[in-house]
Amino acid sequence: MVDVAKITRLLGEIVPPKRVSDRDFDLIPYSRDLSPARQKMPTHVVIPESKEEIQGILKIANQENVPVYIRGGGTSHWDAYLAQEPGIMLDMSRMNKIININERDLVVTVQPNCTWAKLDRELRKHGLTYLCSEAGGPAMTVGGSVMKAGSGPHSTAKFGFHGNQDVVTLEMVLPNGDVVQTGSAAWPSAGKFERQCLGPDLGGMFIGAEGILGICTELTMRIRPASDFKERLVAVMPSLDSVVEFGHFINRHVGDEYLQGTYLWVDPNTPDVFLFMMDIFGYEEEIIEHRKKKLIEKVKELGGQLGDRAPADDYFGRILTGLTDLFNTGVWHFFGAGTLRIDDIQFMYDVWRRELIEKRGYRKAGFGGQILPRRWLAFMVTNYREPGEWDELVKMAHEIDKIILAGPVIPYGIGGRDGLRNIVASHDTGYYRLLKTLKRTLDPKNILQRGIFIPQEELH
Amino acid sequence: MRIEEFRDMIYACGRCNFCRGIDFNERCPEIFTQTWESSTARGRMAIARGILEGKLDYSEEMAERIFGCFMCGRCREECKKAAQIDVIDITKAMRADFIEQGVKIPEGGSKMADTAISSGNIFADTPEIHTKWAEGLEFVEGSGTLFYPGCLASHRFKEKTNILVQVLQAAGYELDFLGHDQTCCGTPLWVTGKIKNAKRWAQDYLQKLQDRGVKEIITPCPSCFRAFDEEYPVLLGLDKFPIRVRHTSEILEEIVEQKKLKFKISINKRVTYHDPCEIGRYKGIYEPARKVFAALPGIEFIEMSRNKADAFCCGGGGAVKLMYEDYSNAVAKERIQDFIQTGADVLITICPACEMNLTHGTYAADIEARVLDVAELMAVAAGIVDPEILETDYFPED
Repeated sequence: MVDVAKITRLLGEIVPPKRVSDRDFDLIPYSRDLSPARQKMPTHVVIPESKEEIQGILKIANQENVPVYIRGGGTSHWDAYLAQEPGIMLDMSRMNKIININERDLVVTVQPNCTWAKLDRELRKHGLTYLCSEAGGPAMTVGGSVMKAGSGPHSTAKFGFHGNQDVVTLEMVLPNGDVVQTGSAAWPSAGKFERQCLGPDLGGMFIGAEGILGICTELTMRIRPASDFKERLVAVMPSLDSVVEFGHFINRHVGDEYLQGTYLWVDPNTPDVFLFMMDIFGYEEEIIEHRKKKLIEKVKELGGQLGDRAPADDYFGRILTGLTDLFNTGVWHFFGAGTLRIDDIQFMYDVWRRELIEKRGYRKAGFGGQILPRRWLAFMVTNYREPGEWDELVKMAHEIDKIILAGPVIPYGIGGRDGLRNIVASHDTGYYRLLKTLKRTLDPKNILQRGIFIPQEELH
Repeated sequence: MRIEEFRDMIYACGRCNFCRGIDFNERCPEIFTQTWESSTARGRMAIARGILEGKLDYSEEMAERIFGCFMCGRCREECKKAAQIDVIDITKAMRADFIEQGVKIPEGGSKMADTAISSGNIFADTPEIHTKWAEGLEFVEGSGTLFYPGCLASHRFKEKTNILVQVLQAAGYELDFLGHDQTCCGTPLWVTGKIKNAKRWAQDYLQKLQDRGVKEIITPCPSCFRAFDEEYPVLLGLDKFPIRVRHTSEILEEIVEQKKLKFKISINKRVTYHDPCEIGRYKGIYEPARKVFAALPGIEFIEMSRNKADAFCCGGGGAVKLMYEDYSNAVAKERIQDFIQTGADVLITICPACEMNLTHGTYAADIEARVLDVAELMAVAAGIVDPEILETDYFPED
């Protein structure tokens, strides 16, 4: 049991009392995320403004054995940042500054709750961009994306997931309150310019860990010049085979991909129509024209048809500012999501078509995917009505997740008890055992994100 | 509970957080002042859902989150992209639930509503004081076109209101005025959740207007404009208010477009414009003031960085000024920073509440600048009043 009054008092000694609340109406907004995860109430919410305050909060948490959870934009799709047990919710909102835009080294240093939209707005004033790949609109934060190894349809065909190449250095507060740096920042006299140096890549240990090993307080990311030329294509491909071949074509020149981003969408009411929205990459007009020509040739060779680019303009153009009519037919849920080889998209598509459309007659979930260098991130996504359709949706999504993850698909986002953590725990891999060892070592009281990724009982 | 009516909308919140914006508090004046997620539209939907599900109760402590909303509609504007949730209607319903469940609301709100009921206006003015602004003006009783200034324009901006009527009359509008019979439009009642009082008020007011033969109401106050045009029909169960209602923005635009006045005096000022929430985002009226600026000689118009549908609130909305004055002033000061960034000489708007709050914002920001109504610029350009009213060292007698 959390001694609520005592923790409130102790937190009020670390941060100004006006940034600590244990009032139910202040807590309830932190009890849900974007997913259908069950409501989970924290006992406290606290808004830190510095790593020193976070250190102080973790000290209290360790002393009092109260778990700490981390909230960025509050838009997790899989129960990854909700309080699995009564505990303290860190609302990171105020740690959202852009600390430095380094145009010479082409890196930017930000606090974790800087949103992608804010970052892009500032970078473009300098003729620079990150080429954000998130599609979550104005709320998606840089720290949240990196800590989940997140992704989206924009820029990933060229640059992959966040964390693949672009995270240069991290500043993390460990569960014991120690502040550490990764990459070249680990050598304080050097600067923030390189990810892999001074031994193993410890930045990678935190990326995708969903906050269980440390709280990110600062990130340095690679940036690049914004392209002045924008070309987009929309094509309809005749078959999944042609989609796969097109995927290989895009990825063939690894490191110099034709596309910045591409988005495959299959509507459940027309499951044989494979729509591609493509954002062509290149810094010179001639290069873009060349790539456009080659892409058009390939689409035609594979039997595809080109269409009006307006939908792609609208889609890619609104990624940062917010896609329209998101919840017109109910709230969102992504499920059956994961990464897989280019050739294996057939497996996921078959599951989607057979299990949802043919067996269950469920025609509200579309099938989508983004091509990354040498792989897909694919998913099923639906809208449903809360609370009436919740039970059916959650049951169905769980069944699909189990089928998908028994195949050649690596789960995307693990989360808490309403996420995929139990499926991951049931796979007794060496990777998972190592992760548990790291967690026990860095966080012996399991203070940070308790119950996220690794069930508490798995750490005994 | 009144929020039952909005159950579907409340559950439609996808928790995307479009409402809050990309930089924590650059859109919503409530989170700008109150910090908490519970101050945002997403947070309020979570609270409303908790109440519907019996997990939360309205409480005096919670009142700050609900009555601290400026009702500026910025979040509702953003939600048009996502779930089309009418955050303002839900907030009004929550405020009404406070009243109907007997939960104490902020004292300033209660007092405002009680004062409006007992004295007829929110300042407890006597009729003589409340109509002082009209001294020297002549009205045409029974003309059918009622000039209705509202409480704030009558009490706080006597000179501005007088100038506005001079402009309208010079342009040929035959205006009636209720004189000592003028009382508040009733906005303080529904904005503080007193729906039963509001219904009675609307019934009586409509009767009074119809007895006088009013065919059209012209008002400079966006709240009064919306009261007659939007709130009365809802309160009275009417499809449409039986009397035409126009905000002065539309009339001033009409004067310019139909060349009802000649503008010969050069203004010689750089001006910027604050879009009032209740005619901007609420009614989509953005262009009239800008068209007037384009028609007046010697105006260099500079847009604020946050303008039209993206405009930041002045801090005067939602009756927050009377309930949490510090919050209201903090928002006004922030909006004045937008004005300072433009480098303009004069800040123009077309809403008495905005004019008052932004003027207070200039004090809070410690700058000397005039906050003027669009009609005052027109009056100067038409030679109706002396250009001295544009200068920062000019102090109106009111």
